[in-house]
Amino acid sequence: MGLKGILKLAAATSLVCSLGVVAASAASLYVPNLTYRTGPFAATGIPIMNGQRDYVEMINARDGGVGGIELEFDECETGYNTNKGVECYEKTKGNAIVTQPWSTGITLQVLPRTNVDRIPILAPGYGFSPMSEGNTFAWAFNPPVSYWDGAYMILEYISGGDMSSLKGKEIALLHLDHPFGKEPIPLFEKMAAAHGFKFLKIPVGLKEMQNQSAQWLQIRRERPDHVIMWGWGAMNAGALTEAVKTRFPLDKMIGVWWSGSDDDLLPLGGKAKGYKSISWNAPGDYAVMKDIRKHVVDQGNSLLKSSADMDKVFYQRGVVISAILVEGIRTAQAKYGKANIGPEELRWGLENLDITAERLKEMGMDGMFAPLKTSCDNHTGHAGAWMLEWDGERFVQVSDLLKPNREVIKPLEAEKAAEYARNNAPWPGRDGLACN
Amino acid sequence: MFYRVSGQFKTSYESDMALFPIRQDAVLLGVILLAMYVVFPLFASEFTFKALLVPVMIYSLAAMGLNILTGFAGQLSLGTAGFMGVGAYACYKLTTIFPEMNVVVALLLSGCFSAMVGVAFGLPSLRIKGFYLAIATLASQFFLVWLFEKWAWLYNYNASGAIEVRTMDFFGLVVTGPTAAPVTQYYFVLVIVSLITFCMINLTRGRYGRLWKAVRDMDIAAELVGINLMRAKLSAFAVSSYVVGVAGAMLVFFWKGAAEPNLFDIPLSFQVLFIAIIGGLGSILGNFLGAILIVALPVLLNFVPGLIGVEVNSATLEHVNVMVVGALIVGFLIAEPHGLARLWALIREKLIIWPFPH
Repeated sequence: MGLKGILKLAAATSLVCSLGVVAASAASLYVPNLTYRTGPFAATGIPIMNGQRDYVEMINARDGGVGGIELEFDECETGYNTNKGVECYEKTKGNAIVTQPWSTGITLQVLPRTNVDRIPILAPGYGFSPMSEGNTFAWAFNPPVSYWDGAYMILEYISGGDMSSLKGKEIALLHLDHPFGKEPIPLFEKMAAAHGFKFLKIPVGLKEMQNQSAQWLQIRRERPDHVIMWGWGAMNAGALTEAVKTRFPLDKMIGVWWSGSDDDLLPLGGKAKGYKSISWNAPGDYAVMKDIRKHVVDQGNSLLKSSADMDKVFYQRGVVISAILVEGIRTAQAKYGKANIGPEELRWGLENLDITAERLKEMGMDGMFAPLKTSCDNHTGHAGAWMLEWDGERFVQVSDLLKPNREVIKPLEAEKAAEYARNNAPWPGRDGLACN
Repeated sequence: MFYRVSGQFKTSYESDMALFPIRQDAVLLGVILLAMYVVFPLFASEFTFKALLVPVMIYSLAAMGLNILTGFAGQLSLGTAGFMGVGAYACYKLTTIFPEMNVVVALLLSGCFSAMVGVAFGLPSLRIKGFYLAIATLASQFFLVWLFEKWAWLYNYNASGAIEVRTMDFFGLVVTGPTAAPVTQYYFVLVIVSLITFCMINLTRGRYGRLWKAVRDMDIAAELVGINLMRAKLSAFAVSSYVVGVAGAMLVFFWKGAAEPNLFDIPLSFQVLFIAIIGGLGSILGNFLGAILIVALPVLLNFVPGLIGVEVNSATLEHVNVMVVGALIVGFLIAEPHGLARLWALIREKLIIWPFPH
């Protein structure tokens, strides 16, 4: 017997050898996005990815790009599959000025590579919380708030601004049993120890997302004062359906920003009234949305099914994500005095973001997200977020801007960042990148 | 004409038992090895290494492990991904507990752990057969993934619950971690896969291979002629899990660089099983053919619209891709239910008598 069949591989690969990576024309900036419009998480992925795409298309159509250069927005489909993530990252990185990996699993794989390939990784509102520590994670950015910020702000909201009022209470965390869902646990544990509340972890396995009867039985038995949900994809709808079924008071239930999709709540309608979700973008009718409607959606250049979807929280969050990226590009262009920037320059831009309230107004996004400023040891910005409440038809803003307490979170970030660097030794850290 | 075997006489027992008794086979293999060892490393891009060559080899190896068990010994298993996970986690623990340990030693030792686990879960095979055994191995699959999630010691109490591969070198050459050159990793994987393939070809031709095949074809008959069923079945589980474990460790260490527990969930088991079935059960070559079809073809298909100048939305392309690959799998199985390896054997037979068929 021979191994001749490998010949087929030879023929096939010689084809690809000659292909190499996707070629981008010189007169544009290549910004790829590793999307998941297919697979188990597609329902939550599609609105965000539409928002990201449409903002960039709007910038191209309205302003002719950023600083006179067009953005070439490209999608590579991963289906939330980590194997596909490797493929997409390798395929797009050649000319890309940024990589947006989406899934936490793909982020984990890509993060060490970005140091070597010298390409910034933009993970708004996801990824690791310690990424904020820019002296360790020089190439990673997760503006405007991290998961630990989110956890802190939720506790702040529950306690009404006075953490000591949580003493003796019981707070349950219903979380996806996956790197993403486990992310806030260190902060909750630290806060529980400091303020004397009982913290209860209720994991939901990936296979149990749509059938959470065991978890909700536990919630009924324990009767926690609050349930905080760290869910994604099918888990959110599953949890909300169970909560309604078991008559859990929904005003005692608060989700992270990824658990606040209109599409999860619409089927429940009025029954889910009172459910809250923290969000770093406030939904509304902003000037930028009118521009997107005029330049992209009405032109038929959007992938949106219906223009009513533009009012949804997740679509607008996608818009915010691309807006942060575009601001990063703009900042880098101003610093280096050229339009055609590379990944290293964009890294500087993302590290020196300063989106003030005035700038937000100019962007037509006044109040859409909180003013944001990043620096060398702050790759997140820690801008703050608002509490949204489901009124039966849509999410409405019910709180003022909540801010995380950096003094509590920063030491934890430094500790976990150092731990990551130790586990992945030799970790390059800033690797001589100037901080200015 | 190209494959004429007339004139090639076997004049000694050695030549009769040679690995490649027909000269053309040996030449073809030589050409392939030359391509793999010399031509690809010279011309392939980073993308080709990372997205095509390395995963195809690793998946082929995993399927080869499964094929020993299912194709040669006839024991259906749905727990492959779990055993791959054991290999990966064992390798991770070994390299973190003993940081000085050579990565090759760790890799080969991690196979031993999965072999042990494989034998333990193979014990029911002494009593149950067929679909019932498949369900028993399915239990191991669920149990192992649950263990990877819940036993925090396995991932060193990492907050994210995932394992990350640190940078390791092999006599000064960086082979794992982000700084490892793709071509180095490629060679590393290639050498290990070649070695294990060579061992497996010989093993399946030899005493144990015959034991396994006898058990597969009719275990009662095998027992009657004096084959120790327990030894035959458990050795198949051990060898199979060993190879699968090494493949799992390489999947994480030489390809992905980080892994979450759910990577080793049932979809991976099915993927490997499909590779083995479509490639051809009871064949070594088939694993490579199957992996090319299941792993490399979807990647290559993604380039087709760009080559013919059609712009297709990435998500639509993914949907089309799944449909095309699915149709091809069904097509191949209708054309040749015994897999791609059998298809190649038929082509070869036709070539031998070409251009004068009977």
